[in-house]
Amino acid sequence: MPTRRSHVPLTLVIARDRSDASDGDLAQGLVADEGWAIAETWRRFAPMVLAMAERALGSRSEADDLGQEVFYHVFRKAKTLRAPDRLRSFVYSFAVRELKSELRRKRLRAWLSFRQPEALVDMGSGTLDVEARDHLRRCHALLDRLSPRDRLVFVLRRMESMTVEEIASTMQLSVSTVKRSMIHASERLSRWIVADPGLADLLDAERWGR
Amino acid sequence: MTTTPDETKETAALAAFTEVVRDGVGPHTPAELDQGLNSLYARIAAGRAQRWGLWRWSLVGVTALLCAVVGLHAASDYRKRLRVSVPPALTYHIEGGSVIEGGYLRESGHQGIKLLFNEGSKLVLMPGTRGRLRAVAPEGTRIAIDQGTAAFQVTPSSDRRWLVEVGPFLVKVKGTVFTVAWDPPSEHFELRLRHGRVVVSGPVSGGDIVLRAGQRLVVSLASAETLITDEKPEDDIAEPAGAPASSAPPAPALRPPVPRDKSAGVSPSNAKPEGERGWADKLANGHWDRILSDVERTGVKAALDEAGSEDLFALANAARYRRRTDLARAALLAERRRFPASTHALDALFLLGRVEEFGERGTARAIAWYDEYLARAPAGAYAAEALGRKMTLTNELGGSAEARPIADEYLRRFPRGGYARSARALVRGP
Repeated sequence: MPTRRSHVPLTLVIARDRSDASDGDLAQGLVADEGWAIAETWRRFAPMVLAMAERALGSRSEADDLGQEVFYHVFRKAKTLRAPDRLRSFVYSFAVRELKSELRRKRLRAWLSFRQPEALVDMGSGTLDVEARDHLRRCHALLDRLSPRDRLVFVLRRMESMTVEEIASTMQLSVSTVKRSMIHASERLSRWIVADPGLADLLDAERWGR
Repeated sequence: MTTTPDETKETAALAAFTEVVRDGVGPHTPAELDQGLNSLYARIAAGRAQRWGLWRWSLVGVTALLCAVVGLHAASDYRKRLRVSVPPALTYHIEGGSVIEGGYLRESGHQGIKLLFNEGSKLVLMPGTRGRLRAVAPEGTRIAIDQGTAAFQVTPSSDRRWLVEVGPFLVKVKGTVFTVAWDPPSEHFELRLRHGRVVVSGPVSGGDIVLRAGQRLVVSLASAETLITDEKPEDDIAEPAGAPASSAPPAPALRPPVPRDKSAGVSPSNAKPEGERGWADKLANGHWDRILSDVERTGVKAALDEAGSEDLFALANAARYRRRTDLARAALLAERRRFPASTHALDALFLLGRVEEFGERGTARAIAWYDEYLARAPAGAYAAEALGRKMTLTNELGGSAEARPIADEYLRRFPRGGYARSARALVRGP
């Protein structure tokens, strides 16, 4: 059976590398619902969002779920972004809002079940040993005792190295509230660490090389 | 600022705590990130499908809602049309004549024509009256009276409208009992309204004239006179003279007018009593000048001494209308003197008051006549009018302080009377 050949010239088109696109271009791509913009936004901001969520929640699987939620809403609400250059802040604000909601939900669930939530340290495929996992579980157990706001402020300030002003802007709080919340969280954590001799020993500065 | 050893220990412990938590989180591998991105794509696609589904169902819902609204509206409209058509077709039964081409009502004998409608309305054409049935429809009826006298009893209905053309006049009727007459040669129109309300439009009225129950409208186109008078309620019921007997229940309120002239025919039942001069008929027809001419011809004294009760009363009214105050007063006094037991004798008391009001310095005398009328006929036909006039004249004569008790009495007895507004103003004071 004869094969019919097409004489139309074919050209292989390679997608442009968009990794150098600015946040503004990225935002405009999201508004235009372009596929590359979704992928690039994910690659650019997902590591940051997922790490922050994992530190705040103490669970990688929960952080993954939260990341899906955050980016899904970012893509849906991209058209409401008035300043395209502020895409990073836009993503952060969604992430923080989702984190806050999730922490509140967790606390509510614990209250409704009349028991403290068990600190399940789910660090994915990390290579922490059993002792390190135990340290981490005990640390998150203390974080679970903080209020959602204090906990989030503490994580953003001490672990994400955000300034007080950035936290205030992202969480839509006043600077003084953020400061009070930070002091409150620090004092309580310090007190709880001291009150837990086992954990205090483990966190002894000399042992941790400090 | 220095720190205590405990604070240093707390700070160091907190820093170590922070380090443990921060470093306990390892970065996501590229494979994990790709997996997350794929999950995100899947979710976005599912969200779009869901949104489109929602939009589609919303569209279906809105369309269904619109259809329902349109359907309800159409059903409502249909029901309204049905409701409109609910009143049964108007039919009638004719006695004493027939309807021929053009709706003309032809009298078969000399006893008049009677039309009985299925919804209860009734129309009687007096002997010799010429009329036409212009339209008979569920919405109403239109009848023309070309000449003569007709009596109507219209059953009240919000759906039906009755229009009566009487010569150049148009009478709009709703639930009313009245008689109407038109005499083309003399261009005389008369309407007596017993119950209900009618609106009359015509060439002289200069606009619609609204008549209330108990009023009579007389229009003479020849002399360009329009007269509206109040009549006493007449309780007696009578079929038109010579009208055929009806198989339907008798019309309780139908009453024929007094025949005006010979052409209308005179039956034994309404023949004039001996000694009557026909002035009552002339007055009813608005021919008050003819009454006064008769009096001048025969002499005032003879008229006052010989005329019957009805004629004397007609003479008094004709004289009042023409501002012949002395003659009116004399006729009313004669009525009282010669027929003290008649109803007109009581009415004369009130009318004497009206006559005195025309004259200069007659106010006090008018009040005295009104007082006498109110004393003798406290529930008489003119009681409200007499008390109202007394209140007005007292206010003019003695001021509001004297009139206020009368106003109180008026409001107590006739709170909806024609002088109620003035009475309230008096009671409220300046």
